[in-house]
Parts: sequence; C-alpha cells; structure tokens
Amino acid sequence: MKEGLRQSMAWVHTWSGLLVCWLLLLVFMGGTASYYKHEITFWMKPELHKAADAPSRVTPAESATLAVRELQQQAPKANAWFLDLPHERNPLIYASWTNPPKKGMSREERRAAFRTQNFTLDPMTGLRTTAPRDTRGGEFLYRLHFDLYYMSAIWGRWIVGIAAMCMLVAIISGVITHKRIFKDFFTFRPKKGQRSWLDAHNATAVLALPFHLMITYTGLVTLMFMYMPSPTKVLYGEKQNVMFSEVFPNAERVKPARQAAPLADIAPMLQQAERAWGQAPSRVVITNPNDANARVEMHRPAGQQLSNIEPTMIFDGASGALLSQATPPSTALAARAAIYGLHVAHFADTLLRALFFVCGLAGTAMVATGALLWGVKERQKYAKVIAKGGKVGFGVRLVDALNIGAIAGLPIAFAVYFWANRLLPVELAARSNAEANAFFIAWGAAAVLAQIRPTRAMWRFQLTLGAVLLAGIPLLNTLTTNTHLGVTLFGGPGLRPVAAFDIVVLLLGALLGWAAWWLGRKAKKQAAKQPAEVAQATKLEAA
Amino acid sequence: MLILSGAALAYSGFAAKGLTMDRHYADIHGRGKECDARTRLRLRTLGWLGLLLSFIACIGASGWHIGPVLWCGILSLAAWTVTLLLQYHPRKVMHSIWIGIPAALLATTLLLQ
Repeated sequence: MKEGLRQSMAWVHTWSGLLVCWLLLLVFMGGTASYYKHEITFWMKPELHKAADAPSRVTPAESATLAVRELQQQAPKANAWFLDLPHERNPLIYASWTNPPKKGMSREERRAAFRTQNFTLDPMTGLRTTAPRDTRGGEFLYRLHFDLYYMSAIWGRWIVGIAAMCMLVAIISGVITHKRIFKDFFTFRPKKGQRSWLDAHNATAVLALPFHLMITYTGLVTLMFMYMPSPTKVLYGEKQNVMFSEVFPNAERVKPARQAAPLADIAPMLQQAERAWGQAPSRVVITNPNDANARVEMHRPAGQQLSNIEPTMIFDGASGALLSQATPPSTALAARAAIYGLHVAHFADTLLRALFFVCGLAGTAMVATGALLWGVKERQKYAKVIAKGGKVGFGVRLVDALNIGAIAGLPIAFAVYFWANRLLPVELAARSNAEANAFFIAWGAAAVLAQIRPTRAMWRFQLTLGAVLLAGIPLLNTLTTNTHLGVTLFGGPGLRPVAAFDIVVLLLGALLGWAAWWLGRKAKKQAAKQPAEVAQATKLEAA
Repeated sequence: MLILSGAALAYSGFAAKGLTMDRHYADIHGRGKECDARTRLRLRTLGWLGLLLSFIACIGASGWHIGPVLWCGILSLAAWTVTLLLQYHPRKVMHSIWIGIPAALLATTLLLQ
C-alpha cells in the first residue's frame, strides 16, 4: 500500500458511501418513520378516530370477550383468530382471522382474502367502528424500507442488504479516516463552505455513532438467514422449514382434532396471564377455535426487555387450562432476539421512541451531508472552469441532480403519500396501491426535474414545495376530517397520536422551509457580491 | 425525574470536557489562551464522573436491559446541545455547567431510596 491507512480508508469511505447514499436516504427516512408506524396507520384511518376519542373503560378481559363474541359470529370456522387488545399505543380492539386455504388458491389470493378478514371494535360500545378506508398506512413505509416496491421482496432485500453492508463499511472506514475525532468532538463552524458541511457530517455521525452502528448492524442481522444461507444449508439442506420450526418453536402449530368442542371462556385465561406478568397481554392468538385441539396463546406486551420475542403463555382452548409457559429461549436465540429487538425498538416507551426517531433523523442528515460534501469537494476542482463561465463535469452534475432528487425530493414523496390518503376517493378500487403509486409518481417527477435542471433554483423550488406540502398537512387534516389539531389537542389520550403526527410534520415542514430560506439568502448574498467584484475588476483594469 | 437528572448529568459532563478543549477555551477566554493543566484535569475528571453518574441514573430508571440504550440516546442529545451551544453561545456553556451538581444530588437520593 503506497498511501497511508487513513488515505486509503478515506477512499473507501467516499465510494462505499456515495454509491449507495440515495438508496440509504430512502431506507433511513422510511425506517425512521416506521418507529411510529402504528401511529401513522392510525392517522391514515380517520374513520377510527371517533371511537378512540373516549378513554377506554373496559378491562382487557372484557375487550377480549367482546372480540371473541364477534369472531364467533363472523368466522366460527376460521383456523386462527388474532386479537390486538387496547394498550398504550393502541386505543381500539383489532381482530383478524385466517380461513383454511381452499384448494387451488394462490398465495396472492390468500393474502388478498386475509386483508378483508378483519374488523375493529370500539371498546366503549363493543360495536364495530366504521370500516376504515383501504390504506396500508405506516406498513407501506415500513415495508418500503427493506422490501422496496415494484419488485419481489427478495430482490428488494438483497439490494437494501448490499446498501447496508456498504453503510457498515462507510461507518467503520469513516471512523478510521477521521483524524481529529476527539479534538473536533464538539466542533461546528458555520458559514465556512466545505468545512461547515464536514463539521455537520461529523457531528451527526460521531455524536450518534452508537445508534448508527447499532442500526446498520442489527438491520443486517434481521435478515441474516437470507444473507448468509450457507450454515443452515449445510445443516438442513433443502428442509429450511424444519430449521425455522426448530429455531423458532413458537411457530409450531397443533393440528385440529376435527372434533367440535366449545371454546372455553377467555376472560379467566387472560386474568391468569395478567396476574403472572403484572400486566395484561396485548395480543391473543387462538388457533383451531371451536375444536378439541384449540390453543390460546397470550403474548406479553413489549417494554420490559430488548428482545422482540415476548414471553407467551399457552392455554388449552377447550378446557381453559394452562398448558405451558414458553420455555426460555436458547442463548443464541435470545441474542438474536435482542439484536432484532434493538432494531425494531418495540420495547421503547414514549421518550425512548422519540430519541430513536431523532437519532434516525440524524442518520438521514448524516447521509445527506455526506452526499452533499462530495459535490462540494468535487466542485472545487472546477473552480477555475466555473469562473470562466464553463460547466462542471458530468459526474458532479449527476451527483447534484441525484442529491436534489433524494434529499429534497423524498420529503415531497412522503408528503404526497399523506395527501393522497386524504384526497383520493374512499371508494376507489385498489386504493392502497394508488396511494403507493402517488408516492412514487411524486418522487419520480422530483428526480426527473432535478436531472433536467440541477441548479440552486431547483433546490429551492423542491425544498419549498416539500415544506409547503408537509406543513400543509395539519390544514389538510382540518379540511378533510373532524379530528384536526383544534380537536385532538384537547381530546382524549386516544387521539394523541393524531395530534403528534400533525405537529411533527409541521415541524419537519418548517425545517425544510428554513433550509429553502437559507439557500435563498445565500443566493442573494452571492448575487450582491458578484457585481461588486465585477466593478472592482473593471476599476483595476481602468487603473 | 431520574431520566431528567441523567440528561442534565450527561450535558454537564460533556460541557466540562468541551470547556477544556483548546478551541472552545480560546472562544470563551480570548484567542491564544489555554486552560492550565490542573483545571483541565479537574474538569475532565468531573466530566467523566458526570457521564458515569448519568449511566447509573439511566440504569436506575430503566434497568439493565433498556437503560444502556436510553443512555446512548441521551448522550447523543447532550452532545448535540453542547456542540451547538459552544458554537453560538459559548459562555452559556460555562455558566450552565453547574446543573450537574443538583442533578447528581437528586440522582443519588432517588437511587438510594
């Protein structure tokens, strides 16, 4: 190696970062939003807001009884029922079920059928709420951040996985190449061009380094069976399903006895779990209901441990007797569950969730400033050419355009997704797909416009548009629903997520607006400076 | 309360460390001035102590599972605050550093209860 370690690491850092940074922006923004995926979904289903307004006064056992009664009428022959009971982040009772698959049904058809097999109950009245509009809500953003869209999930996961690997390389090489990591620890020097961008990149990266390292590494671990298939292939060959049921024994299913037996009362089972844990289960899964082999699985709510696999208690559905408390997982599985759990942060309470969200935003800023820094640095090589009125090279132009399309364009796409949710007609066919299409049409348009004119004016235009769209969401909410900020701020705790959503998008819009204003001021200053320089030059020439 | 005092401790800890750095010291006390070795050692020790206490406060608040995660988040937030303050209002960092002391007392009483 001719050059020193630092120089070669700087090269690795630049290229591993630059090649994937636009995709990483999408992954980071989508992932950061996903910390609030339930809240986003709830915001996107305004039909449910009314039911959530009144504070729930029924006990978990009563909620479960209500849901089971309704399921007995709706789907007595289902092979599994799923109940989500009201708790901190969920004011309503959600129930869904799967039917025994009919012969010749494709996977897609089964999935489409499952999407219709659900209902929501108002825990106050025990009645069904108005059917919510067809939307995938936060789930779309969550899936987008590792499955991408318009392609098979496998392809998406490979692409995101490669990008994440590059990110991990960029983080480690970045730490090695950062000469003054401790001396510049608290340094931010504004208004100094490249230096300021580098400081901002360092401050967002170094000061949240534990988060960035954790989120990238744990992200790769969540899909480890896909990225590193060799060990399990050697051990299990083609029988990968056997591996999964051995590693994750929870997935084990009891076959129905084909002998009818009434389902025991669910309330005592729920109370037994509540006594054992000190808190009521948040999720109940009933397999083979109304069969002699019925099983009732209670899941403890998240919040006490890092793991994403919560302890369960399994009851015999016909007799109501406790069969087993899930055995403690093996060390390896516990480690994986903790790593996975750290990534999805189900355990996080309000404060910790907000910290994760802020760190996610910092990650987005880190990728964005890194991408901008490359353009700023490269541009200097063209300083003389530009001064003579020449043009920058193709690479700089391309990166500039991609930067505009991703950094300014993606917020537009997110905002348009939320606007589409409110403005598309409720009865539209395949409505949830139309919302997703709106996201990509907006993003595509922003990216194409940026390629045509990658100028500072385009930066300002797209940033301003993003700001107006995001900050306009609370207003849009006022015009299209009854649960605007004026109501939600003074309403019950169930409406808090709606209020928080409106406030957060308003703040993010303000942030983009500030960036656009700042760019405008800079442009004005430069315009003021240039005539002065020209005047000075002519004076010199005259002299 | 414990989390809040943990955050104040992390802020004070970082502020104490930041104040001893040449660049930031010169920003406050005038160009070319350097912190003398004894003050530097004292402030740095206090800074590390603040960070350690903030870790203990986070563990006390959220336990061994979630406490460390909370601590990392609080550290990032505190470090960003110190960075921005050192740039825009460096004197305020010097004047606000004392909040670590009541925070330390509060955290200790809460933990010993």
